[in-house]
Amino acid sequence: MTVLIDNLARFLSAIAGFITPLAIFHIAWSTLLGIIIGALPGLTATMGIALITTLTYKLSADLAILVLICVYVGAIYGGSRTAILINIPGTPANAATTLDGFPLAMQGLAGRAMGVATSGSVLGSFIGMFFLATIAPILGNYALKFQSYEFFWLAIFGIVISGHLTALEDPIKGWIAGFLGLLVAMVGQEGIHAYERFTYGTTELLGGFALIPAMVGAFGFAEVLTVMQNPPAKMADAPRDSVFPKILDVLRYWRTIIRSGLIGTLIGIIPGVGEDIGAWVSYAAARRKSKEKEKFGKGSIEGLMAAETGNNSVVPGAIIPALTLAIPGSAPAAVLLAAMFIHGLRPGPLIMVESPQFVYQVVAMVFFATLAILIYGVGLSKLLLKVLAIPKTRLMPVVFVLCAIGSYAITSRLFDIYVMIGFGVVGYILRQMKYPMAPLVLGIILGDLMDKNLRRGLVLTDGDLTPFFTRPICLVLWLITFSSIILSIDPLRHALQKAFHKVWSGSRRLFSYR
Amino acid sequence: MAMARADFFTGIALILLSLYVIIESWRMPRLEHLKVHPLSVPGVVTAFVGMVLLLFGIILVIRSIRRGGHRLKINHEGFRRLFNHSGNQRLLLTAILTMGYSIFLIGTLPYWLATGLFILVFILLFEWERGLNGVQRRRGLISAVLIAILSSAAITLVFERLFLVSLP
Repeated sequence: MTVLIDNLARFLSAIAGFITPLAIFHIAWSTLLGIIIGALPGLTATMGIALITTLTYKLSADLAILVLICVYVGAIYGGSRTAILINIPGTPANAATTLDGFPLAMQGLAGRAMGVATSGSVLGSFIGMFFLATIAPILGNYALKFQSYEFFWLAIFGIVISGHLTALEDPIKGWIAGFLGLLVAMVGQEGIHAYERFTYGTTELLGGFALIPAMVGAFGFAEVLTVMQNPPAKMADAPRDSVFPKILDVLRYWRTIIRSGLIGTLIGIIPGVGEDIGAWVSYAAARRKSKEKEKFGKGSIEGLMAAETGNNSVVPGAIIPALTLAIPGSAPAAVLLAAMFIHGLRPGPLIMVESPQFVYQVVAMVFFATLAILIYGVGLSKLLLKVLAIPKTRLMPVVFVLCAIGSYAITSRLFDIYVMIGFGVVGYILRQMKYPMAPLVLGIILGDLMDKNLRRGLVLTDGDLTPFFTRPICLVLWLITFSSIILSIDPLRHALQKAFHKVWSGSRRLFSYR
Repeated sequence: MAMARADFFTGIALILLSLYVIIESWRMPRLEHLKVHPLSVPGVVTAFVGMVLLLFGIILVIRSIRRGGHRLKINHEGFRRLFNHSGNQRLLLTAILTMGYSIFLIGTLPYWLATGLFILVFILLFEWERGLNGVQRRRGLISAVLIAILSSAAITLVFERLFLVSLP
């Protein structure tokens, strides 16, 4: 009980800490910018956070993270507008939103659809925020028990699960992307003996590939190329009905909202599995449980609510492992994590020991960002329509200029611009061949963790692999990892299904009289 | 089918890359003179990652061959269709402009000039359409010049004065 009151007090003091004119100013502009970035097709949350990170170098650490979280929450919400109005998801997270949002708009209910998206996003964020405040401290304390063996498996687990869930049709491509990311992370001086791997004498590569240029390339430049390749989209009409969220929609679908919020948070916690998957899984679950299944895909309020609650609840969910394990729950959270390191914060298992207050500050940041999207969601629809009308031929060159200068600004090296270009081109090609980007990014972040912990663990046990497989947490992690791989190999899965079926029918016969 | 063919190429590329990584890992120093534990040497993890990628590469190639992805059809007709596709033309133009700007212009010209030029040329090339009359052309040109000047000036000022970045 005292712990609960303690934590509540920390949360409230964090809230109070952000009620200053300067903080409110930053919340206002960054959430608005986030919504605009999210609404513009081709500008994703990941790219937005990566670009805005370069604008936060001169801010204090807490204000910088506040700005980035506002951009993050704003972008995931902003994408719903585009999904509803022009049937194009503003960010990948809003793909499921198009299914019912656009049909609603076609029926002349664009305003109501936006209201549903607003209430879903706000409530989803709050549900995720609740779990961020309650789970993060527990997970943080629990993670203190993790040793090299657990961290090694956590890295592999993250890559395999993320690879599987982001490339459901062809998981091997997700895994390839993840391991390529690990390989990228191997470049540069390694952390144990300081040997320079794959640098071939270039001083620029000593520290490895910098994360922000790599991300700006893979998510920014690759996206610029894709957007310019696609034919231009048609503009939408302005909504005629009210965009004000209706309390009745919320009351009627409260079960869907809570279910989607829980699903989204859980998906967020899983490393490298982000908002898009959260929305799809919530949508599918809502349809399965719905009394009005036939409406799904034709303008279902429930479906729209599920998708928008699902994607926004992923945001706080994805921050949980980023804060407590330094393992990002989604691609935008990966950039957020990188930004935390740039600003001298040290997320990881020690966070609850070193700076417990910071966890609650992050909760408060999510709180303010959510309030801001509620206010903008109600007050802002004409401006967004204007923004959506900007032709991509004028927007994309400016976006690319920002990609270039943003990559350069961190260390003032032209080399980082070339890194951005390289990752952009490779990212574009991989994406065309259906390789997901999230596991790649996760691999780049987790590479160092895996490298150090595998070797450290092997030294500690003098080459004995047993602890890697027998320690309880390791056991769970490798069992899930391997079963994920085995179950995605068709012949193996069929064989397992057959065996299971035989055992099942055999045991049934055993217990029946005839 | 196109994907099977693409997978064939990626598989081969992946096999070559992973073989290279494995060989490089083998060549990395073992640091025997420092008496470090043989399992903590730099090449251990890279070799592990290389072997996993090798396995994936082999699976990709085998899978693609089963679907007939190794039967490549390279002919003039295919190339012509590839380049005549308007999306691909826009892609190529974007790639040339962006890379030209970031590799050749930045660092040679003053930053504000390079950026302004890039934005101007980008907008003009993509918005140039046949059949526009003189007034429309002039209006397009003026707005492109304005966007180029304003965005280049704003970005230069913000990064140089506000964020104190010494621009290239």
